[in-house]
Amino acid sequence: MSDNKAKTLATEQPSGKVRRDAASNLDIGFKLKQYYDSILTEEVPDRFAQLLGELEQAEKKTEGN
Amino acid sequence: MAQPPEFKKDLLAAIPNLRAFAVSLTQSADRADDLVQETLVKAWDKQDSFQAGTNLKGWLFTILRNEFYSRMRKKGREIQDSEGAMTERMAIHPNQHGALDLDDFRKALATLPEDQREAIILVGASGFSYEEAADICGCAVGTIKSRVSRARVRLQALLSISSEEDFGPDAISTQVISSGPA
Repeated sequence: MSDNKAKTLATEQPSGKVRRDAASNLDIGFKLKQYYDSILTEEVPDRFAQLLGELEQAEKKTEGN
Repeated sequence: MAQPPEFKKDLLAAIPNLRAFAVSLTQSADRADDLVQETLVKAWDKQDSFQAGTNLKGWLFTILRNEFYSRMRKKGREIQDSEGAMTERMAIHPNQHGALDLDDFRKALATLPEDQREAIILVGASGFSYEEAADICGCAVGTIKSRVSRARVRLQALLSISSEEDFGPDAISTQVISSGPA
């Protein structure tokens, strides 16, 4: 995965302030996405599909009358 | 009015994104899921006000965000923390030199004021443009830009403290140990 790439980038350049700042800048954008994706890819609890099903059923009932 | 079945399908498809945004805002999986649930109910009730063909994700994010802030206000919690105070309290030492652990990142993100955190999440992770993020947050585009930029600077400061001379002794020994062959 590209995680390795970011780590390499950051670890292979331990000296030189500018390079390190550039790496950490990259790292922040990268980590932000990684953080977000880690939640995105979590399994969605069933309760949401159930809830929408119930809302739909309730609506059908009221409309049927 | 009977909503086309796509609306439900579209809501279902948006849930992972809503959860990710909700977790980013609340910093708690439980509170996030409650927030998503409330958002779905509200969205369902207001579905007639959604204009088909427009940005559903943005519409849902707006509902979720409004719900989040209205809950915060009800609880009477302070939304903002003064900027400098938080930064001083926080010192994150990466496990490896310059390589941020995801957990370190989560901690750093949690210290941002809500307005900065939501801005950098919306633009940097959720895939919204500055304009869309401004719509969602009900503020000017320039405000979003400045929040994102302050968030970046602040994360940078929090997370790179230890790559400079401020290296903690633990970080240095870890570095030395981990850089040798196992």
